[in-house]
Formats: sequence, structure tokens, C-alpha cells
Amino acid sequence: MFVDVDFAQEKKYNQNAYGDYFASKRFPETGRLIAVLSDGLGSGIKANILASMTATMLLRFIEEEVDIKKACEIVMNSLPVCQVRKISYSTFSAMHCKEDGKVKIVEEGNPQFIWISDGKVMEPECTVVDSVNFPNRHMHLYNIKLKEGDRLIFCSDGVTQAALGSRNLKLGLRREGLIKIILDELQEDPEISSRDLSKTIVRQAILTEPDRKPKDDVSCFCVYFRQPRNSIIFTGPPYHQNKDNYYANLFKSFKGKKAICGGTTASLISRELNIPIKVDMSLNIGKLPAVSYMEGIDLVTEGILTLTKVLDDLEKGIIAEDAAGKLIDFMLDSDCITFMVGAKINQAHYDPNMPIEIEIRKNIIKKIEQVLTTKYMKKVVIKYM
Amino acid sequence: MEKVVVKVCLGTTCFVMGSSNLQGLNEVVKEKYGDAVVVEGSPCLGVCSTNWEFSKAPYVKVNNEIVQEATVESVLAEIERQLA
Repeated sequence: MFVDVDFAQEKKYNQNAYGDYFASKRFPETGRLIAVLSDGLGSGIKANILASMTATMLLRFIEEEVDIKKACEIVMNSLPVCQVRKISYSTFSAMHCKEDGKVKIVEEGNPQFIWISDGKVMEPECTVVDSVNFPNRHMHLYNIKLKEGDRLIFCSDGVTQAALGSRNLKLGLRREGLIKIILDELQEDPEISSRDLSKTIVRQAILTEPDRKPKDDVSCFCVYFRQPRNSIIFTGPPYHQNKDNYYANLFKSFKGKKAICGGTTASLISRELNIPIKVDMSLNIGKLPAVSYMEGIDLVTEGILTLTKVLDDLEKGIIAEDAAGKLIDFMLDSDCITFMVGAKINQAHYDPNMPIEIEIRKNIIKKIEQVLTTKYMKKVVIKYM
Repeated sequence: MEKVVVKVCLGTTCFVMGSSNLQGLNEVVKEKYGDAVVVEGSPCLGVCSTNWEFSKAPYVKVNNEIVQEATVESVLAEIERQLA
């Protein structure tokens, strides 16, 4: 199973920094995922610092295999109280999720999360832990087990209190209003990704405000427990040429979307699997060679130049209109990406007369893996050939 | 008459060494020879990896003849030679 997690947020009207902070980390080796949402007191820069501090601290604690309850308790008992307003500096929701569906959730001060299973809202049992230092702080602890298709929705009070005090919604959107937004959206698009669902929730919450301007920071993160979308990228010819056929067939038999990065690689697969390649000469966009077409393969691009640009664009968060943009789309549409990396080196690439420097394939793939796992929360597997 | 097939290598080496500048070939050839000559791209002709020490990229294949350090002019000259 795969845990699809993503978030969306909007800052308070007239502020230039987000007062809520979301942090998450995936551990592919152990199949764990940690996500934390923190809401800092007030708004703007001050709230941003408080929230990011709380969330980062929690994430690090839980990451170090400290039990989530223990980690949250430490944070709850140590968070200071604002001298002026006499309320907590920040509130948080923390989640620890495993690929077998076991989820531990701790909430302190944030609105209660929403668990949707088979189109219904579940009411899980919770344990309340009181703070030893602060009488008004309580932690809510949940231990739940997700099954395929389940969703969890966490949000800051900016969502549930949207439109507070307005003529139609005197008490704001509230939990009921949020549930209605979620169920309506799921009815319309049952397979919606966490990314799109969280965006919809944030947008809808802001739209309930009479003047369409958020009065508080509005943040939401969603979890979708589902079958992983797998894809494979074959790049570079195998070190031993006599294994070309074996690897080509391995690639062919893969269940999921397929891409090839590399001219020689494409020729190799075309030869071994007997699939003709079509290249559109007129479509070279920007500084990259055009994509080619092969039946049964979703995307065929040039190798190193495209991968180098992919890495660059992934880091900057750009999706361009060229071959690199298509490859990024391909990657971001998958949860689990396998790279088959050929170790053969083309000596011609290291000719000192080449006008640009060309990186070694292995290094680029390693860097792409880093970005995909840390920034885009993807699961990446690399196999060298 | 047999068609002349021109294959422009769009592999990494050739692309960097100048095959990206051969995109105009398509229009020039069409104007000059009409349907008698076809220009296509190729993901990689595989010449640079076998011939690398000569480093004569970009390569273009005109039927079975390989044009080294190809430019629009040299490719046109090769087409002309084969058509003659």
C-alpha cells in the first residue's frame, strides 16, 4: 500500500508569511511516514517562526524513533505561553503512518482530524493525556488502522473557523461544513489525489468568507491510503552488452508506466524488443532534443541533458514545456519510481572539446532521487545494471 | 526513383555538438527536393560511441552514408551527390 500525502495552504489576508507550517518525511526502507502540521500563535512572521519551530522539532523527535506520544508530550509540556495573550505559542497535529495502515495520531489544540472510510466519517476512540505543566493543555491520542481507499484530513483552525461571525455562518464553517466539502468533492472525484483534495479544501474554505479573503492562515493536509502508482525509467545501456536482452525484457514486463531516457538506450530497447522509434524533428523545444515515440512506452527522451534539466527544474519547482517538463510530469504522477540505470559510459561525452560539461549518469540519478524523496515525498528505487 | 532518407542524430553528443542547429534542414530540403528526400530525427545513430576518438559529431546519415561534422551545407552536398 502507498500513503499519498500532500498539503495546501494560504496565508492570512495582508500577511506576507504563512503562520502555519507543514513538515513531512518518508522513510522508504522502513515504510514509515511522518507528517506534522503546526499552527503558530497570531499570524505573519512571528507565527511562522513558532509554527516552523514546533513542527521541525516534532518531526526530528519522531524521526529518531522516539515514540510519538512521548515526543508530543515533551513538546506539549515545553511550549511556552504568550506573555500578552496567555495562550499557547503553537498548536499541532502529528501523524505517524506505516505502510500496513497502522496510524498513530496526536493532536494538541488543532481541530480534530477527519477519517473517511467507504464514504463515511469514522469516529475513532481517543485517549486524552493532560499536560503536567499546563492545566489547559490536553493531547488527544489516536491509534487507528486504515484500509485501502481510506483518507485522513488534517487542518488548521483557519479552515474550521472560516467565515466566523459572518451573517450566514456565525460560528464559521465548523467541522460539519468541512465534512460536507470533503464528501461533496469525493462524490465528484472518488480517486482524487491528496494534492488536489487539500487544494480544494483550502480554496473552498476561503470561498466561504463573505469577502473571499482569509482571516487566518488556512492549511490542510490529506492522506490517501491506496495502491501505489508505479513507474519505471530505463536510462543508460547496461555495462555488459550481452545482458541487453535480459534487461530489455525485464523493463517490458514491468507493471506500470514506462519511460526511456537516452538515445542509445532507446535504440537498444527498440532493437531488443523490436519496437520502431518515431522521432519528430520539428518539435525540439528550448535547449533539449524532442521526445520520441515508441509503442507501449509512455515517454522516450534524450538522456543526460534532459535529466540534468529535470534535476534543475525539480529543485526550482518548475514544470517547463519541454522534454524535461514531460519527464517531471511523468515522475510526479507516480508514487513509486524505479530507475534502471545502465553503468556503461559513452566516452564521447567526455571529449574536452564538448562545449558543455556532462555529468555522470549515476550522479544525476542519485541527486534526482534525493529531491524526489525529500521534496516530493516519492518512493524511489535505483537498480544499477 | 528511390527516396533519399536523411537521419539526423539527436543523441546527447550530436545535439550538444550542433545537431540542434540542423532543425532548419527539414524546410530547406522540402523546398528544394519536395518529396524525393525525407528528413527524420534519430534518438541516436550510435556512431559517437564507436568512433569517439575521432570526435566528429554531429553525425547525419544520408541513406547509408555517414556525414561527419554535419552542417546544413554538407548534408545538402551529400544529398546532391547521391541524387546525381
